[in-house]
Amino acid sequence: MSTHLEAVRSFFNVYAELLDAEQFEAWTALFDAEECVYRVLSRENQDLGLPLPIMGCYSHGMVRDRVAMLAKGVLTYRRDRLLRQVTNVQCQPLPESMVQARANLVVYQSSEEGVSRLYMVARYRAVLRASGENWRITSMDVVVDSFGIDTMLAVPL
Amino acid sequence: MDKGMAQDPNAWPTSDFSRVPYAVFTDADIYQLENERIFRGPVWNYLCHEVELPEVGSFVTNWIGDTQVVITRSEDHGFHAFENSCAHRGAQLVTAVRGRAQSLTCPYHLWSYSLKGELTGVPLLKGMKGKGGMPATFKKSDHGLNVLQVQSHGGLIFGSFHAAPPDLKAFLGPHSLSQIERLLVQRKPKVLGYLRQRIPGNWKLYNENVRDPYHGSLLHQFQVSFGLQQPTMQGGIKVDADLKNTWNHSILSATDKDNQALMAQAYEGTGKFNPDMKMADPALIHVPLDLGDGYKTTILSIFPSLVVAQVDNTYAIRHLRPKGPDEVELHITYLGFESDTPEQTHDKMLTANFIGPSGYISLEDGEALRLVQQGIRHRRPGGHEVLEMGGVGPVQDTDYLSQEISIRGFWSFYHRIMGLGGAQAEGKPA
Repeated sequence: MSTHLEAVRSFFNVYAELLDAEQFEAWTALFDAEECVYRVLSRENQDLGLPLPIMGCYSHGMVRDRVAMLAKGVLTYRRDRLLRQVTNVQCQPLPESMVQARANLVVYQSSEEGVSRLYMVARYRAVLRASGENWRITSMDVVVDSFGIDTMLAVPL
Repeated sequence: MDKGMAQDPNAWPTSDFSRVPYAVFTDADIYQLENERIFRGPVWNYLCHEVELPEVGSFVTNWIGDTQVVITRSEDHGFHAFENSCAHRGAQLVTAVRGRAQSLTCPYHLWSYSLKGELTGVPLLKGMKGKGGMPATFKKSDHGLNVLQVQSHGGLIFGSFHAAPPDLKAFLGPHSLSQIERLLVQRKPKVLGYLRQRIPGNWKLYNENVRDPYHGSLLHQFQVSFGLQQPTMQGGIKVDADLKNTWNHSILSATDKDNQALMAQAYEGTGKFNPDMKMADPALIHVPLDLGDGYKTTILSIFPSLVVAQVDNTYAIRHLRPKGPDEVELHITYLGFESDTPEQTHDKMLTANFIGPSGYISLEDGEALRLVQQGIRHRRPGGHEVLEMGGVGPVQDTDYLSQEISIRGFWSFYHRIMGLGGAQAEGKPA
């Protein structure tokens, strides 16, 4: 699957860059418009077999709703700059032009006065569907190790 | 930082607690005093829910103020709680957040304890080959763990460090008793998951926040933008006799054009009134209220650190774990019910988006508290909060939501239990 691996790496690069740049509407376009699930999950709940998500979107509309307030700029939240690093990307083929993708994520938060600190540590578990030259997200779980959330989680991971 | 200011009698200039010195949120001495007089004082602290201790040997850990405690279910199915510190040299005994064990053994010298906190095993108690060992005067029964008094009501387990805590039901008060029955007893709860939020603000700021319906539709723009809650929404507050516990509620009502006009008026000049937004997938807001009693939001705030909240179709226990004057961890236990159908459980996964650190109608709370703590940290000494919304004077129940009266109730009880000088608490009028 090394041919897919490069493509999946590129996909995560685009994914991270769109969120870092607060291009929220473009980010939603990475999801399969017909069928998609996006969840942010706490590792604590995962380990306990408990279903509660931190964020849970079960349709493309819900993904769009998740960022509607951010896109419109009416949400009160910490206006820090976020920088995502996606590493250890791996993928395995699935039937019907799909791949299962995994990756690690760290997010740094930088204040308006130029002070940076680690904000999030998480892992991606995704199913992507080939769509022409691109990939679309059928499901994405972001399992958060740093589930003792610092202040709030407004912007998707 | 105005160190010591909160203990100055002049720091509390009004008897109705419409002025609260900012120093209570920043002063390290006050924080120490809170651990002594509140968390170790004559109160009942929330420990956990009974369903989290399903079997003999089940244990969970929690925090009361700065102190970590272990809560267990013992062989006789009783609940027990003790400080998480070995009686020998003080090491933290239990490192797992939760689990199951027949006994608890300290990793350092392997002293072991029963599920009730009694010392049962001391390695090399008699020494080796007649040498060493404990002196003849050493009795294991003198060296149990520091236990708390434990009582439960409606599935909620409480602990107290105090030698003579108040009667639990009296401490909870009538509104808590009826709401615990409504939310946690009439259906058997189960845990659907946990959420944790570390808020860089003083633990009392959160107590204010949950007693403050005034901020609801102003800070939380999701509701306003999508027309889900309005400042014109009906509801009110009820406070108990000693003013420490509050029940806030809002009532489901149809929105109409009159309300829209009132909304525009209420938000005049804020630039925040955006009723043009429509949800792309409104499934979340169409989840029916499964209790069927018309209450849209009910927030039960129990002194000093417990909130039992129903927000739409979400049911959650929120517990405050202070981490010094400047930080609090909000620990949320999200509940479903044994009787829930798979559809209802799925609905609760949808409505989970309302609450917690990413909640559409809660996520800004963490930021608001951070901003307050930032704002007051180095303010000119002697400043006060202004709590006049909804009226000043005696603390009383209201049938309106634009108020901060129940916050004043919190401070009245706080001031009394802390033994601070200045304003004398006024009782609730009959």
